[in-house]
Amino acid sequence: MPSRRRTLLKVIILGDSGVGKTSLMNQYVNKKFSNQYKATIGADFLTKEVQFEDRLFTLQIWDTAGQERFQSLGVAFYRGADCCVLVYDVNSMKSFDNLNNWREEFLIQASPSDPENFPFVVLGNKIDVDGGNSRVVSEKKARAWCASKGNIPYFETSAKEGINVEEAFQCIAKNALKTGEEEEIYLPDTIDVGTSSQPRSTGCEC
Amino acid sequence: MADVVEDEEKWLAAGVAGLQQNAFYMHRALDSNNLRDALKYSAQMLSELRTSKLSPHKYYALYMRAFDELRKLEMFFKEEARRGCSIIDLYELVQHAGNILPRLYLLCTVGSVYIKSKEAPAKDVLKDLVEMCRGIQHPVRGLFLRSYLAQVSRDKLPDIGSEYEGDADTVMDAVEFVLQNFTEMNKLWVRMQHQGPAREKEKREKERSELRDLVGKNLHVLGQIEGVDLEMYKDVVLPRVLEQVVNCKDELAQYYLMDCIIQVFPDEYHLQTLDVLLGACPQLQPTVDIKTVLSRLMERLSNYAASSIDALPEFLQVEAFSKLNNAIGKVIEAQVDMPVLGVITLYSSLLTFTLHVHPDRLDYADQVLGACVKKLSGKEKLEDSKATKQIVSLLSAPLEKYNDIVIALKLSNYPCIMEYLDSETNKVMATVIIQSIMKNKTRISAADKVEALFELIKGLIKDLDGTVHDEVDEDDFKEEQNSVARLIQMLYNDDVEEMFKIICTVRKHILTGGPKRLPFTIPPLVFSSLKLVRQLQGQDENPFGEEESTTPKKIFQLLNQTVETLSNVPAPELALRLYLQCAEAANDCDLEPVAYEFFTQAYILYEEEISDSRAQVTAIHLIIGTLQRMHVFGVENRDTLTHKATGYSAKLLKKPDQCRAVYVCSHLFWVDDQENIKDGERVLLCLKRALRIANAAQQMANAARGSTGSVTLFVEILNKYLYFFEKGNPQITVAAVQSLIELITTEMQSDSSTPDPAADAFLASTLRYIEFQKQKGGAIGEKYDSIKV
Ligand SMILES: Nc1nc2c(ncn2[C@@H]2O[C@H](COP(=O)(O)OP(=O)(O)OP(=O)(O)O)[C@@H](O)[C@H]2O)c(=O)[nH]1
Ligand SMILES: [Mg+2]
Repeated sequence: MPSRRRTLLKVIILGDSGVGKTSLMNQYVNKKFSNQYKATIGADFLTKEVQFEDRLFTLQIWDTAGQERFQSLGVAFYRGADCCVLVYDVNSMKSFDNLNNWREEFLIQASPSDPENFPFVVLGNKIDVDGGNSRVVSEKKARAWCASKGNIPYFETSAKEGINVEEAFQCIAKNALKTGEEEEIYLPDTIDVGTSSQPRSTGCEC
Repeated sequence: MADVVEDEEKWLAAGVAGLQQNAFYMHRALDSNNLRDALKYSAQMLSELRTSKLSPHKYYALYMRAFDELRKLEMFFKEEARRGCSIIDLYELVQHAGNILPRLYLLCTVGSVYIKSKEAPAKDVLKDLVEMCRGIQHPVRGLFLRSYLAQVSRDKLPDIGSEYEGDADTVMDAVEFVLQNFTEMNKLWVRMQHQGPAREKEKREKERSELRDLVGKNLHVLGQIEGVDLEMYKDVVLPRVLEQVVNCKDELAQYYLMDCIIQVFPDEYHLQTLDVLLGACPQLQPTVDIKTVLSRLMERLSNYAASSIDALPEFLQVEAFSKLNNAIGKVIEAQVDMPVLGVITLYSSLLTFTLHVHPDRLDYADQVLGACVKKLSGKEKLEDSKATKQIVSLLSAPLEKYNDIVIALKLSNYPCIMEYLDSETNKVMATVIIQSIMKNKTRISAADKVEALFELIKGLIKDLDGTVHDEVDEDDFKEEQNSVARLIQMLYNDDVEEMFKIICTVRKHILTGGPKRLPFTIPPLVFSSLKLVRQLQGQDENPFGEEESTTPKKIFQLLNQTVETLSNVPAPELALRLYLQCAEAANDCDLEPVAYEFFTQAYILYEEEISDSRAQVTAIHLIIGTLQRMHVFGVENRDTLTHKATGYSAKLLKKPDQCRAVYVCSHLFWVDDQENIKDGERVLLCLKRALRIANAAQQMANAARGSTGSVTLFVEILNKYLYFFEKGNPQITVAAVQSLIELITTEMQSDSSTPDPAADAFLASTLRYIEFQKQKGGAIGEKYDSIKV
């Protein structure tokens, strides 16, 4: 079988409405930020080329609607994700508490082959607000949660000031790349199935 | 139903299989750079999207797979272009695909590369594509195809600052493209409801609802175009979008798209175009849930106002409040059938809006409430429980905002709205009000405010609409009335005249409460009044003696009448306690006749109303205790009162009770800090009388059980002897004490006595006390020394 080199990395950004998912993506891809709030409807992506270990990859970054009523078609686009970014607003406890729901929902719907080791990255956004004075979720608390979920990498970001955005996405790309998620190998019925190229089992190897 | 789902799963599985098979061959073609095969298999793969058997959800799943495969094809096209293959030729080539749907998907895919190659202006390619997509008129297929176009063109719009920006007016091209795609999609979406059999309408509506985000997405894209500044939004985008919304005359589309407009465009734009946006509302279908749309708009704007103070001038400048207020009025007028709930929800949102944006404009808030009243008037009390809940939240909003009922009391329409609540809800609201006062420790210090407050909470103060609800839970009722009691305690003003007015106001209201409430509400009122008395007591009597000025006498008069109302309940025990409290206060004010009057009232109650023997015992001890502390009485009055008290004591039902009351009466004749009350002889008489009763009690027990009763009473009397002995009452001699001790010891040693460890211990410790006093030495020790134990 000729193997096509993987060059496309699919990333899904999830989190409550207003935490700054769209802003983070815009900051990263277009280096732009706007103070205006414009809700996202449905899901779509922007792409960005990233260089990693001398290879060029295309990051396909899916931004989603945090408001449930703007997600009417469901989440079929989770399929084939290589990394999932969970965003909360450090000034909103509720958005932090909801991270768990977002994570679980993702694992159920995307059903990755190895949910235990599927790469997530958590971003605590809006650290610039009010000079940090209106912050309600401490870094310690966030890190503790990340640690409890299998050492999820954690970044404190500001889409507005561009703080840590580049670093966070570097890490996201790196994790997307090392994920075990390979593309489904499909073999059509008409072709002999040799012993060496069994379709990959989705469960554990034992 | 289950069959349908199962079938659908099958169709989807078949579609996926077909898709994967062709994708496989497409991959092979890509790997071997075989363009012809790549196009062939990708077209076959895309043919799977021609199905009409899948619901939107399932179709989306299939579409996403095709979508992912097309990314690979796109990359291949890019490489081809890099290798020198003419992209224009490619664009031509894919048009040979046999089937229109695959052809258009391929065209969009190449088109995206075409734009990227910059071999043609973005706007031309986009225009071409959006026109060609008209070829698909099947709603579901057309919607997905066009959303594919929207997605692949997303980062290639000739927006300002974009690399695809052309020479002039290119933002306009981007906007035109998106608007056109939006319009076509909306048409497909709306038309869908008319297709297929009528009996499947419900299913169709559900499917349409699932598809809504494909249409709304275009608005999100418009919102993201940087070149859409306020001017362009105002002149082009909003009018064009609204035109589409209004003209499509479709309930679902109108409701959803209005919601989208509000959410995807920035607040500043909404403020500057409020007229236009609000103007569209009455033009929508009468079934559209405009209240939710408008509520969300107001919620958004409230948040905006809360998020930055810089925004406030903008709100003022565009007169946002009055515009919203007008719009709501018009919508309510236009939608005659709007349920009350809808009306109140709208006004609630407007109130929240104005409280946030214009906290200093109470008149606005009052205006909103007034509009509500107007709408509610002419209707009976509300039965709809959701509507009443909404009213409660409407009325709670000002309290939560200001944390101060005093401000809410300034809203003249506030009580009018409460009129429309059923009595249950009225109570709930009244409780909310009281809790707010408690929580914020609000000081309500003027009589007119108190008047207004009690008018507001009258649901707790009296039975409304004449019906007595006997199903009211006893505990709930107590809880409610206790909260009223706490409230009464909180009303306070330093100024005596004002405080007296407050008391009179409260009194007026609580007297309407009926026998069940008075026992809860009278006591706090009495104590508030007594507090005022004590305050006056500290001050000198006004030498000029103005007629109307408040004096303790005047308050006591009122108190007398107030406590008297308890006789109708009846609650004689409570009334007696309160009379005694008043008497004590009168005592401290040196008002002998007043104090005497209160005692007389207490005595009348005791004689005529308190018949239960336990209650009598409690009452008599209260009477004795209070009387003992009185110093205002002259000899004559005091004699009369003590005489009666001892009389009552001796007439108690049970001997032991009699005995105890009588020996306690001894204190009425010997008061430590009053020189003129040291009547040793009468003390002794009391104690002797108590002894006689104790004896009689003993004998009665003997007769009944064949053994003597306990000696406890004797030991108690012994303690009284010792008390007066120590105080120096000459009538209580060593001999008397001694013989009492002997009497007790003999009693205890007699064969017939019942063993009573408690009494034994009591005696033992009494004797130990005597011993202890002896040890003390000095005058006391000497005194005790002569007692031989
Ligand atoms: N101060 C500050 N504001 C931010 C930051 N990130 C986003 N915002 C603001 O927060 C608001 C919401 O940001 P979005 O990026 O639209 O939020 P979202 O998560 O995409 O919201 P949905 O699309 O509704 O799910 C906007 O007004 C942004 O300007 C940040 O890092 N700092
Ligand atoms: Mg967003």
